[in-house]
Amino acid sequence: MLNFVARRIAFAVLLVVVVSSASLLLARLAPGDVTAQLGPFASASEIAGTRARFDLDRTPLGQLGVWLSRAVRFEFGDSFLYNRPVRGLVVRAAANTAVLAVVALVAATVIGIPLGVISGSRQGLLAGVIRGVSLVFLSIPPLLTSLLLVFLAAVTRWFPAGGMTSVNASSLDWPAWLFDVAAHLPLPALALALPIAATFERLQSQSMSETLRQPFALAAVARGLSPRDVVLRHAWRASVRPICGIYGLAIGALLSGSFVVEFVTAWPGLGRLMYEALRARDIYLVAGCAAMGGLFLAAGSVIGDLLLAAADPRLRDAGVAKAGQART
Amino acid sequence: MRRAGQCLLWLVGLAAVGAPWLAPNSPDRSFPDRLYAPPGGYAYAQRMVSRLNRRFEDDLNQPVSLHWFTDGRLVTVPESGGGPLLLLGADAFGRDTFSRLLYGARASLALALVATAIALLLGALIGGAAGFAGGLVDEVLSRLTDFVLVLPAIYVALALRAVMPLVLPPATVFALLTLIFALVGWPIVARGMRTIVASEREREYIAAGIALGATRWRLLSRHLLPAAAGYLAVQATLLLPAFILAEATLSYVGLGFPDSVPTWGTMLQDAANMSLVADAPWMLAPAAAIFVVVLGVNLVVQGEPDVHTSLF
Amino acid sequence: MGVSLALLGAIFFVIRGRPGAPPAASAARRGGQIVASIRAEPRSFNRLVARDLTTETLTMLTQGRLVRINRATFELEPWLAESWESSADGRVHTLHLRPGVTWSDGTPFTAADVLFTLQAAYDPKVESVLAETLLAGGLRIRAAAPDPQTVVLTFAAPSGPGLRLLDGLPILPKHKLGAALAAGTFGMAWTSATPPAEMVGTGPFVVREYQPGQRVILERNQRYWREGVDGEPLPYLDRIVLEIVPEQNAELLRLQSGETDLSNSELRPEDYVPVRRAEEQGTLRLIELGVGPDADAFWFCLKPEVKGKDPRFAFVSRPEFRQAISHAVDREMFAETVFLGAAVPVWGPITPGNDLWFSPDVPRYFHDDARARALLAGLGLEDRNGNGVVEDANGTEARFTVITQQGIGWYERGTQVLREELARIGIALDIAPLEFGAMIQRMLACDYDAIYFRPVATDLDPAGNMDFWLSSGSAHLWNMSQRVPGTEWERRIDTLMLEQSASIDAGRRRQQFMLVQQIVAENLPVLYFAAPRMYFAHSARLQGVVPSVQRPPVLWNADSLSVSE
Repeated sequence: MLNFVARRIAFAVLLVVVVSSASLLLARLAPGDVTAQLGPFASASEIAGTRARFDLDRTPLGQLGVWLSRAVRFEFGDSFLYNRPVRGLVVRAAANTAVLAVVALVAATVIGIPLGVISGSRQGLLAGVIRGVSLVFLSIPPLLTSLLLVFLAAVTRWFPAGGMTSVNASSLDWPAWLFDVAAHLPLPALALALPIAATFERLQSQSMSETLRQPFALAAVARGLSPRDVVLRHAWRASVRPICGIYGLAIGALLSGSFVVEFVTAWPGLGRLMYEALRARDIYLVAGCAAMGGLFLAAGSVIGDLLLAAADPRLRDAGVAKAGQART
Repeated sequence: MRRAGQCLLWLVGLAAVGAPWLAPNSPDRSFPDRLYAPPGGYAYAQRMVSRLNRRFEDDLNQPVSLHWFTDGRLVTVPESGGGPLLLLGADAFGRDTFSRLLYGARASLALALVATAIALLLGALIGGAAGFAGGLVDEVLSRLTDFVLVLPAIYVALALRAVMPLVLPPATVFALLTLIFALVGWPIVARGMRTIVASEREREYIAAGIALGATRWRLLSRHLLPAAAGYLAVQATLLLPAFILAEATLSYVGLGFPDSVPTWGTMLQDAANMSLVADAPWMLAPAAAIFVVVLGVNLVVQGEPDVHTSLF
Repeated sequence: MGVSLALLGAIFFVIRGRPGAPPAASAARRGGQIVASIRAEPRSFNRLVARDLTTETLTMLTQGRLVRINRATFELEPWLAESWESSADGRVHTLHLRPGVTWSDGTPFTAADVLFTLQAAYDPKVESVLAETLLAGGLRIRAAAPDPQTVVLTFAAPSGPGLRLLDGLPILPKHKLGAALAAGTFGMAWTSATPPAEMVGTGPFVVREYQPGQRVILERNQRYWREGVDGEPLPYLDRIVLEIVPEQNAELLRLQSGETDLSNSELRPEDYVPVRRAEEQGTLRLIELGVGPDADAFWFCLKPEVKGKDPRFAFVSRPEFRQAISHAVDREMFAETVFLGAAVPVWGPITPGNDLWFSPDVPRYFHDDARARALLAGLGLEDRNGNGVVEDANGTEARFTVITQQGIGWYERGTQVLREELARIGIALDIAPLEFGAMIQRMLACDYDAIYFRPVATDLDPAGNMDFWLSSGSAHLWNMSQRVPGTEWERRIDTLMLEQSASIDAGRRRQQFMLVQQIVAENLPVLYFAAPRMYFAHSARLQGVVPSVQRPPVLWNADSLSVSE
């Protein structure tokens, strides 16, 4: 087990290094650089100064070397857009996204998995409706889902139409502040959660109906267990495996932030930061965001594997020790 | 249910193939006096009252007669006869939404189907290999999967765009987008595939198979892949709409089809202005079309009367 | 500075001159706050080193200048300078500072601050973005302070705009920033990471808090010098919150929901209907600002060093070719289609929105396809192979790729209409919408055939846009930064513009600029088709709004705004 964890941590570090380096190099190779933000007619010396400040006067590999040598000391360079060290920006944005991600994940799970169990274990109108609604959410682009929710919020005024806090938030004491953030959460969290819930529902539904076709389910019914018990006690456990693999992915994706949702709902999170950085070619901010995204994805991947081990007795008993060498 | 799904898909397929005949108007013809026009032109000629206010009214003095089977089209209304016929209104350029929807099915569906197929194949092979082989192979393939998942794909697209000529023929765009989608899509498939194969591998019949001397390839292709068929089918229904929509995202970095080739994804981008959509719900027609396709695919792959229904 | 380019609706803009609010109605209520949405983070709190719209807006809210151009009347108004005398030759200006003005921390405002600010703007180490705008006849302004309440500015040459040059220069506090300038770190002072408490100003508001990614909160400057017509100290408002809303559709929705009171940018033509409806319901006010001062432009890269070997250059470089294009475009239809009718046709860079310099007498090209074809035929361009595209005698087709910015509705419509119009006379356009950074890179490198884009003039006065007019200018769109004028007509424009900008005789300046516009109209290095009308919306509770066609359309007048309730 320890071996397993240690190895995964080593891989996570490697992943973060590789991903952030690749992002940095790609950002260098893509057309245009951060000086476009100075305006098309900035003076030559202004451009040269900015290029020097962000090491753009070095070769791409030279710049990568400089950046990596600073990164081992946890210095990730400055952001052009925000005029401050990337580290603080990324950590703060990641924290904001994490709050959102946890709520969205819980919501997606609570909505998606039970509905999937229902639609996978029975036929009829209810199952059809659930399936239909899922497919609707899969057919609408996230941009529209978010805007639709903002539109609803603006029309109904049930919750704020964007942002993370109210304008007077900084004068609130902390319980009131928490309440304020909580009031702003439903909009972006739902925008994130609905398509994921639909994905969970589809996967769970398919897996459940397949599991119920297996001999052990039939045997359980033959033994006289109620269908309800078969589904909930036995079949669900066996059917949840494929979700676990995707679960890790969903955690990683949620934690690295959805730029569309954060952009539309003005949530100051990692996805929006990354998008702004990409658009402005704010090179160190891009690399910093990518590093954080990589870290989260690696974490999601580990959590997914642990969930899998928990859900599948064979994997657990055959030993995570064995799993350690057999499948990470 | 499966039959209903097949019918839906045939319908969409026929609409795509028959677009030139079914569409009342050319998809890239703009009618300057019909910007954001509502559906109309089938009973009376439409008349623009105020362009900025987007107000249109039917000209009751000018009833139109539908021209069936003329000009190589099923039905159309020539402009001289009070046209154009706008079954689903017009977009921001005054182009016929219905005709664009039909033509859009071609690029959108072809692209999404091909890319989904490739992503599924790649994902199944790589994920299957990782789950089946275990050990170092699994380790390397899984980490490769993770790596591709976090790579900022938009930069790959930008870098690719930079080395391509400014104006790309639709065929090149098609190939490029297929490539990018397949590359972005396979890790998602591989993730779950690996899980399924890895746990399936632990089951008795596989151990028995190995004891009986079955080759690895045989086990993988005959037993493990079929075990994951249901999973792959669901993934297909998830990737298909995602790819149709992603085409619009890539058009933002200049990797989209030229505007003479309508696609559902780019058509839906116009619907981002919600205040506008509230007045013009037909702008959401592409979303409905995507839904029909996804529903069709879903019914086909999952629509079979389930065995377990006999239980309850 | 000259010409800047509008980026995704928000990021670049620059000042042109105008303010001066008829101060708010007498019954303005004191107190309250408004929330205005902005699209992007401030690049800096130091206007001398940043020129983005958010920085510019913040500077207007927190800093004062010596004189201000009223953005509604375009008149020059006394501001921190209470009065001034100018010498007859327009070169020496003696400004008397308003007595009793203090910085927001209580330190008295004196002539030393003015000298300091000019020194900082000219300091080569600062690399100020304002340095170019503060030149009179191409030379720096010399400043002296005979006493703490008086500043004497000496122009090396007479300057057409005169003291109007100073509208763009916020006066910064020497007691806060003097050390940074001396240490050579002024360019890094007052960045967006500086704690707001360290920053002081003479404007109506002070920055209280900046929450990156969320908002900037400004509070009333208790020591602001100005009084309203009711004799009450300004500003009326206690707080202004600039809420960062990056997405344009969401921005409109939040305005409609009442969460924000105004947006810092104008509406798209598509937004007119929902806002009109909200106005009928009494929640919003829709304001028509009139025709904007900028028009969408279309131009070819005409740099011989880059394009000389291109076989198409033989005809693209001929004025007749571009005249043919101008004749081929039905501008009325263009305005109707591209801007939903909320635009007027234009034939040159100066639109009817710039009433000081617009002239209806500039030659126009009426829509006439036959005339356009004849012009092309005169250049030997005919459709020899019957494919619908004209070729020259060597078989070189008149086919061009036009690049534009991706994702902006009217650019997409504009290029499309242009393609259809030009197809009729046998010129083929391929459209390549590019992401902003990639487009700018190609534009600067002259790596394009043609561009469709809206450059934003930084000043309504042509003398403020010398980088566009002069052949050596960095914003001389079609052939930037030439060492010597490449053509005879560019040389003539150079001469006229240099004379014009150094003249203080308004009539003569106008006359010379008329000649310049005629030369441009004959040679058409840049083609213009339509200038949009601008619309703007704010909440019904906002009072004292004096809208301006220049950005920011409302907040330039922030000290006189109030809210009803």
